Amino acid sequence: MRRQKRFVRFAASLAAVILAASPCMSAGAKELPYDTYTYDYRENVMLTPAPYVPNGRITGQTAGTTDFREPQDLCVAPDGLVYVADTGNNRIVVLSRDMKETVRVIDSFKRDGADDTFNAPYGVCVSENEQLYVADSNNKRVVVLTPEGEFVKIIDNPQSEVLEDDFDFVPLKVTVDYADRVYVIARNAFEGILVFENTGDFTGYFGTIKVKITLWEKFWRRLASKEERSKQQLYIPTEFTGIDIDSDGFVYASNLDSEGIQGIRRLNPSGEDVIQKGENGNLGGDLWGSTYGTYSGPSEFTDVVYRDKGIYSLLDRKRGRIFTYDKEGNLLYVFGGLGSQEGTFNTPVAIEAVDDQIIVLDAYHNAILRFSATEYGSLINEAVGLRYDGDEKQAIGIWEQVLKLNENNELANSGIGKAYLTAGDNAKAMKYLKLGMNRKYYSIAWQRYRNELLTQSIGTVLTVVVVIAVLLFVISQLRHRKGKGKRKEGLL
Amino acid sequence: MIKELFSLDKWKYAFYTVSHPMDAYYEIRHRGRGSVPVAIVLVILFSLSFSINRMSAGFIVNDVDPLEVNALTELVAVLLLYLLLCVGNWSITCLMEGEGRLKDIAIAIGYALIPMIICFNIGTILSQFVSLEEGAFYWIIIALGVAYGLIMMLMGIMVVHNYTLAKTLVTILLTFIAVFIIIFVVLLFVNLINQVYSFFYSIYQELMYRA
Repeated sequence: MRRQKRFVRFAASLAAVILAASPCMSAGAKELPYDTYTYDYRENVMLTPAPYVPNGRITGQTAGTTDFREPQDLCVAPDGLVYVADTGNNRIVVLSRDMKETVRVIDSFKRDGADDTFNAPYGVCVSENEQLYVADSNNKRVVVLTPEGEFVKIIDNPQSEVLEDDFDFVPLKVTVDYADRVYVIARNAFEGILVFENTGDFTGYFGTIKVKITLWEKFWRRLASKEERSKQQLYIPTEFTGIDIDSDGFVYASNLDSEGIQGIRRLNPSGEDVIQKGENGNLGGDLWGSTYGTYSGPSEFTDVVYRDKGIYSLLDRKRGRIFTYDKEGNLLYVFGGLGSQEGTFNTPVAIEAVDDQIIVLDAYHNAILRFSATEYGSLINEAVGLRYDGDEKQAIGIWEQVLKLNENNELANSGIGKAYLTAGDNAKAMKYLKLGMNRKYYSIAWQRYRNELLTQSIGTVLTVVVVIAVLLFVISQLRHRKGKGKRKEGLL
Repeated sequence: MIKELFSLDKWKYAFYTVSHPMDAYYEIRHRGRGSVPVAIVLVILFSLSFSINRMSAGFIVNDVDPLEVNALTELVAVLLLYLLLCVGNWSITCLMEGEGRLKDIAIAIGYALIPMIICFNIGTILSQFVSLEEGAFYWIIIALGVAYGLIMMLMGIMVVHNYTLAKTLVTILLTFIAVFIIIFVVLLFVNLINQVYSFFYSIYQELMYRA
């Protein structure tokens, strides 16, 4: 009898659970081929709604030309045209803004009256002054053309004392700042990014990454003999992999970091890293990964795109994920993955942004994958942009919408909290800042709230204190007298 | 034994130990003023105040994920550590002419937790009111409690065994080694028992399948 009852109760609760769960299941039915997540304050993976969803793929054929062959780089010109470095076909393909048609194909140019061609053009960039820079890798030169393909100049054969005598200049990625200074990542140039003046003269290395040798490694090197030392691995700086530039002329350069701590650098004009790191000081992509297997280890950033308002996205070739950070180094969202499904990559090599879309070039599938922002993604972009402009009050409404979609979003909570703090609503500010794990501002809100409480209740508190003091005094006096009386009695 | 828990005298004496550790530990060893049940209750109280502090100290000074705090496992861990320390110290001091009995060691360590209990609880309450800049006061209180507790522990072991300070420090170092050896042996033992068990279990299974 009892067992039966228990079973009935169990069945009923099971049914209730299923009923409660089923609407959620159908609501989340839109399947994505990848996980979308971010890391919370405690560095736990926190699944989020999708910030970006796949929105078609573009191949050479869909754009009205022949297929790409192992394309290696993408660039979006200021006028919105998309330039593809079609490395295997030795040409540059220019696509329209919506990437549905080919505007032109540049496979040769006239130089001093003779025809000249590319040999494995690896990188491409269009400057603010509307000039096309092509890293013509196997010809060991950077070719500068007009967007239409007219020859302008060639940058090659850098001469300097800092270069080794047998230095082989193989440019891979290129970018140009507002003053037409050219920044080139070259093969085996571990000292940093090569910088050329607009005249084409090599000025030096830029943004050199310092080699970190731990005390332990130093200790072992000290113990090792010369012969052993020569056989040990060399301590060479990590390579830069991708490069982009913001409107102020700061260079964003991604690099491989075996520690997984900093995979991106923001270099000021004198080559120093001025990037801001977030609360946990990590700009290395994934915090956790499997410890063995092909997909183990830290993220390997292969390209970076500076988008707008301090937001930049990094492309991880190891697990095919796209990490987006804001100016303060907060991880905004992560999406993307490796695979063979629509919207996943095999060999992602380059990332760019067109309007609110992110496009990724896949060198294996010879295709450009397009991702468009969902409501969640664009709300975050907008709110972060408002915050970048210092307009936090306006951001509060957008953050509230973000919270409706994902109430665990710490940035949103923190943003709302800060807005309440400036508005003077300290109690509410405390609530949101705590949810946003923002200790610094929570402390400020608490101090103000505490002062409020004190000023409100100082009268009552003081009265109570005075009354208690008087009472205690009276009681002690009474006791004293009583004690005296008793002692006298005792004496008598 | 349990009666001692309700003896006001024993409890008063525990607090007397805090203010006069040298004298009190001497009396505990030689005049039986201490009480093991009281010491154990103090250890439990310590574990509780430690967990409460981790769980509900103010957000500004507390970086512990409340989901990771489990008062029960922490209680078990603290009690086990207490047991290990007592047994470890006892087994070393037995060989090094220590005068203390296991009972005295247990009392010495248990009573030394009183400052920590007090300071952790004061800290937990204070942390509800401090801001980030005043957080230093909180940390000072916690540090004072821990430091005074450790000093009391040191004094307790010294007095109970009638050691010099140097010898005490040496025995404490050896105590830690002893604790590690005990853990090692216990793990080894558990592992072996496990293997023996699985051996017999597989024999049983084999028999059942064939029968």
